[in-house]
Amino acid sequence: MQRHSVTPRPDWREHVERDLGFAFHTIDGALYWDETACYSFTAAQVDELEAATNELEQMSLALVGDVISKGEEAFERLRIPRVAWDAIAGSWQAGEKNLYGRFDLAYDGVSPPRLLEYNADTPTALFEAAVVQWDWLQSLWPERDQFNSIHERLIEAWRNFGLGGAHLHFSAVRNHLEDGGTVDYLRDTAMQAGLLTDRIAIEDIGWDGARFRDLDGNAIEALFKLYPWEWLVEEPFGEHLLSGVTKVIEPAWKMVLSNKASLALLWEMAPNHPNLLAASLDAGGIAGKQARKPIYSREGGNVQLLDGGKVLQETGGIYGAEGFVYQAYAQIPSFDGNHAVIGSWVIASEAAGIGIREDVSAITSDTSRFVPHYFE
Amino acid sequence: MKKSRTVKLALLGGASLALAACDDNSGPPNDARYFADAKECAAIYDDASCRESARASEQTHLAQAPKFGRKEECEQEFGAGNCETRQSAGGGSYFMPLLMGYMMGNMMGGNRFNEPVYRDRQGNAVMNSGGRAYNVGSFGATAGRTAASFRPAAPTQIARGGFGAGAAKFGSIGS
Repeated sequence: MQRHSVTPRPDWREHVERDLGFAFHTIDGALYWDETACYSFTAAQVDELEAATNELEQMSLALVGDVISKGEEAFERLRIPRVAWDAIAGSWQAGEKNLYGRFDLAYDGVSPPRLLEYNADTPTALFEAAVVQWDWLQSLWPERDQFNSIHERLIEAWRNFGLGGAHLHFSAVRNHLEDGGTVDYLRDTAMQAGLLTDRIAIEDIGWDGARFRDLDGNAIEALFKLYPWEWLVEEPFGEHLLSGVTKVIEPAWKMVLSNKASLALLWEMAPNHPNLLAASLDAGGIAGKQARKPIYSREGGNVQLLDGGKVLQETGGIYGAEGFVYQAYAQIPSFDGNHAVIGSWVIASEAAGIGIREDVSAITSDTSRFVPHYFE
Repeated sequence: MKKSRTVKLALLGGASLALAACDDNSGPPNDARYFADAKECAAIYDDASCRESARASEQTHLAQAPKFGRKEECEQEFGAGNCETRQSAGGGSYFMPLLMGYMMGNMMGGNRFNEPVYRDRQGNAVMNSGGRAYNVGSFGATAGRTAASFRPAAPTQIARGGFGAGAAKFGSIGS
């Protein structure tokens, strides 16, 4: 794993906007898509990342089964609201399919990849990984390989999803460029799989007393929501969603994995696993340098790096009300002063590719930069 | 290979953008011809094959053609008047491009090739295969679903065998 400086394509902004519809390459005036650099891997390193990702996904699925069979006690430890328990168990027992997830890994090319966290419910940075970095490599070195078959696997996953002719609505919060771009891309892949699709802002979803409805009055028979389950269940229409009247993607059972308390339960299930970091729900449960993460958090909010009770570094945010998980500190490898975290994608529960985000800070946030990769 | 062979976008970016990787060779076979329907086909091939191809293309069309909740979105891709309404199982309606006919080929080989053909907003005849868009020709200004209005695209000639002579001559490459 190496970092290289690269000359950006002279017309890259115009090209990605016009030909790919990539609208969020620059966020709040700062570069987000960054092709002034790239990472290279060896085939053996890619194989290791792929194997670790598949292993982590299988452990995660085992954990869901374990939590559901334990019931109340496990749900309480995960701080999952009681109102959602039946829907979680029901969706798992019915074998509801899942589309995607992103494992964030600390990896330096030498030591085994370690799981920082699993974005199981609402992962983004998908379009950049699936399309933009693929297009970048085809422009520069089409003969080189990349760990990225995300696009093909998404289309395949939609074909196998069992939605039939159901009218599938893709939903995100209104006026959010990055989330909107991510659901537009997912909708694009579903259309290519022959599904009947539509787009609706999460705020515009209607309820007629029996069914969810879009703005044209059509029934929302299936819903892809880029909006956290833990928020949906607490909101006014949450109970209708939990009733199962609409098929929801990701399925309700992803709530077991989308909260960071699951990191502690994974460690209990597979202590000392080479791809896991020690994690505990108890302050003081982990010795030495560690990260304190809110059980429900996004984009790196409210994370503290601790050493013996001393705060070394922290980020602000609105999260933390449900408590925290304490995770042994993982050195995020630094390349020329850039901390690189690997986002490893699973599509239909199979490893499908990676995207790399760099940050000058050791805590990756939504202001990090996406940097492409290849391997040989 | 761990990268996607091709990444085509249906909705985002340029219309019918096809970014085909270089090892992509799943286009129509060389003998593929366009027919608007089984009757046109029967002037050249046997009736049974033609009816079977037309039926298979219709099924592919229903299963795989892009479907839109709004007519405007469909017409943005396929042009005004080129979309039709269908009823969904749930009782609502949706839109999909009109089936303009089909490509049929590989008549000498065992695997007969059938793919539905659509007209895009520029009048191109496009085939959708496994998420890839192929421009297989164009439709004349006079609208109508007949072979007479169809102009096949110039075939892409791909020369091969420019590398490998040394390996053929010296045998083993590895050391």
